Amino acid sequence: MDHLLLMIWHALLVSVFFAFLWRSTAAGRRNLFLKTFLIMVVGAAALGWLMYPFP
Amino acid sequence: MTAGDSRLRKKKPAETAENQPSVEDRHAPVRLLLGAWFLPGLGHFLLGKKKRAVVFAVVIFCAFITGVLLDGEIGTPKPDSPFSWLAAFACLGNGALAIARLVWLNGLGGLLGGLPFGLEGGGNPSAAGFAYGNTFLYTAGLMNLLAVLDVSDIARGEKS
Repeated sequence: MDHLLLMIWHALLVSVFFAFLWRSTAAGRRNLFLKTFLIMVVGAAALGWLMYPFP
Repeated sequence: MTAGDSRLRKKKPAETAENQPSVEDRHAPVRLLLGAWFLPGLGHFLLGKKKRAVVFAVVIFCAFITGVLLDGEIGTPKPDSPFSWLAAFACLGNGALAIARLVWLNGLGGLLGGLPFGLEGGGNPSAAGFAYGNTFLYTAGLMNLLAVLDVSDIARGEKS
């Protein structure tokens, strides 16, 4: 089981959902999707990297 | 003109042209909201938002199936565990998907007879994907509940 893949899959589903929930134009949806997806994936990777030194 | 005359000249609410209820006072049909909860995407489909309906249905279905395949547990109320009620609420947000899974695990008789504390939620706590599966199941249910609120907003005219 690939944890990173699961996280990306979760982020993808949630980003698509909120893009369609909160935006009604194609451009707005694309922008919100990219923003939330990147924040979740890059943010989680950065948080994991920052927590790496801690036991 | 006195203050009393001014009050008399005011029209009663029933006489005014703007006696329509405001958006805050309008209510979405209960059957529509129940349908939206029971079958993800149905509410938007009935309101003519077909693209959004398909996307919501696919996203929620995929999240739910992923949760089940990862050995996640459908949240059920447990005695002495208040947080289990929150998990049950989140999972019940999946509507027919959660009910079908509970029927699959408990049987129809077991489902009706096991309320509230005797239900089997499935899942395997020792599986590597258990926590991930739970997260997917909770997320799917909460997304569907947000979709129901969206249906309510659209039906009341607050959102297009």
